[in-house]
Amino acid sequence: MNADFVIYAVINTLLVIAVAPFIVSLIKKVKAWTQGRRGPSVFQTYATLLKLLRKEVIYSPSSSRIMRVAPYVNIGSVLVASLFVPLVFVPEPVGGIGNIILFLYLLALARFFMALAGLDAGSSFGGMGSSREMSISAVIEPTTIIVFAALAFVFKTLNIFSMFSITSASGTPVTPTLILLGISLFIILVVETSRIPVDNPETHLELTMIHEGMILEQSGKNLALMELSSGIKLTLLMALLINLVMPFGLVTTLTVAGILIAIALFAVKGIVLGGIIGLFESSTAKMRFFRLPSLFAMAFFFSALTIIIEVFA
Amino acid sequence: MTDTAFVESIIKILFVVVIVAAAYIISTRNLLSLVSVYALQSLTLVGIALCLYLIQGNPVLLAIAIITFGSKVLVIPYFIATIQEKIRIKRDLEFHYLNPTTTLLLSMALMLVVYIALSRIIPPASTATPGLFFFGAVIGISLMLMGMMVTFSRKRAITKVMGFLSMENGVLIFGMFVTELPFIIEFLIVIDLIILVLLTTILSVGIDSTLEEFHNRLHRFYLWEEKEELP
Repeated sequence: MNADFVIYAVINTLLVIAVAPFIVSLIKKVKAWTQGRRGPSVFQTYATLLKLLRKEVIYSPSSSRIMRVAPYVNIGSVLVASLFVPLVFVPEPVGGIGNIILFLYLLALARFFMALAGLDAGSSFGGMGSSREMSISAVIEPTTIIVFAALAFVFKTLNIFSMFSITSASGTPVTPTLILLGISLFIILVVETSRIPVDNPETHLELTMIHEGMILEQSGKNLALMELSSGIKLTLLMALLINLVMPFGLVTTLTVAGILIAIALFAVKGIVLGGIIGLFESSTAKMRFFRLPSLFAMAFFFSALTIIIEVFA
Repeated sequence: MTDTAFVESIIKILFVVVIVAAAYIISTRNLLSLVSVYALQSLTLVGIALCLYLIQGNPVLLAIAIITFGSKVLVIPYFIATIQEKIRIKRDLEFHYLNPTTTLLLSMALMLVVYIALSRIIPPASTATPGLFFFGAVIGISLMLMGMMVTFSRKRAITKVMGFLSMENGVLIFGMFVTELPFIIEFLIVIDLIILVLLTTILSVGIDSTLEEFHNRLHRFYLWEEKEELP
């Protein structure tokens, strides 16, 4: 492990933690604008998280140890996963860091513990949320694997770091395969982060809720950790999409000026993508639960098409 | 000539747009956006024809572009949109045999089969820019088959027609890239299409009525707006 990598780890982790709440509230702001409201400030999520961190944690009497460790496992695995996706600076990969399959299963680990915590408190809402989340993730799993297989196939590597260095070295290559992959990754992003056609991140009371149902029993700093980790997950998947499809500005050598420019460019691209997600969410209605597989089939179709194009054309 | 490699990459991107539009046409339930997506697909074909003209310089391609734009981007979508407005069907929720998910997966398998079949028939190294033309042939035939699946997996006549129209788009792509259909046939196909769209309204509502009776029949089936407001 060299010095570059240590610096990378520090910068990347801090940046992810700093950016995640901003992106969450940015999407809320865009949605509010499209509905003609003013919406909360773009820094609202920071305030909410700080407030929650100071609050007392209350556990249900029927909850077990799972409830107490789940938020830490969650934030831990998501933060490790954040090391796998360089936001602004791509160092040489070290060991298994950057492996796309491991990245996927770190996210799955976080989700597993979140679902367990939903069941653990014994509330019926949590149980429903967990059951829905697990059914969705069982259905989306083949699609995610195919999308990542297509990525690996296009770039001839399993390592996210190498993919990013390839895209950043070739400038802005808008190739047909990248467009298809971009669509598939966008669908994966929407599903993995429980956004609108799949789940409504704003309701606590509707019977449709999935993600919010699972964390309903969390309180205080545990809730803050859960919220932060879902924000980080969103940021990571967005960064994956951004750096594969619009890689300009990504630096591969460590210079202060380069990293500052990269951070600024990343902020701009993140705002653009956040705006797109917000508009997309405003323009579609939530899908019926049993109609979701057709959304997944779309992503599956496009990424399988990518593989076909790559293999044969 | 212009930069061939650049134009080719644009054509490839347009192919992807065509396929995305086809996937949308297969799986959507919203009829209003179906027409605009069909218009978009046809517009993409116009773009492909223009790009191909830049490479090959064949004036027939220019004519195809113009005629496609006039008929498939403007006239047919306008006409279908007007019909939809009148008969007030906004969603097509009914599917025969196959639901959209299965259709998508099946059409993927079809593309693979088409690819394998074509690679035996057309030796990929025969033409000047082989990869692109081969790709075009695969996309064309797959689009035809996908349109066919739309035609027989939907129940409503108006969606069946959309399937048929996107099938014709597949034929057009195939014709542009592989066989070079004579222009007169292209033209006749377009006229056929327009007549087909005109006939659909009659067939779907009143197959046994005359054109004079047709308007009354629309009233009788409560498909016309004024009739619905009566007690």
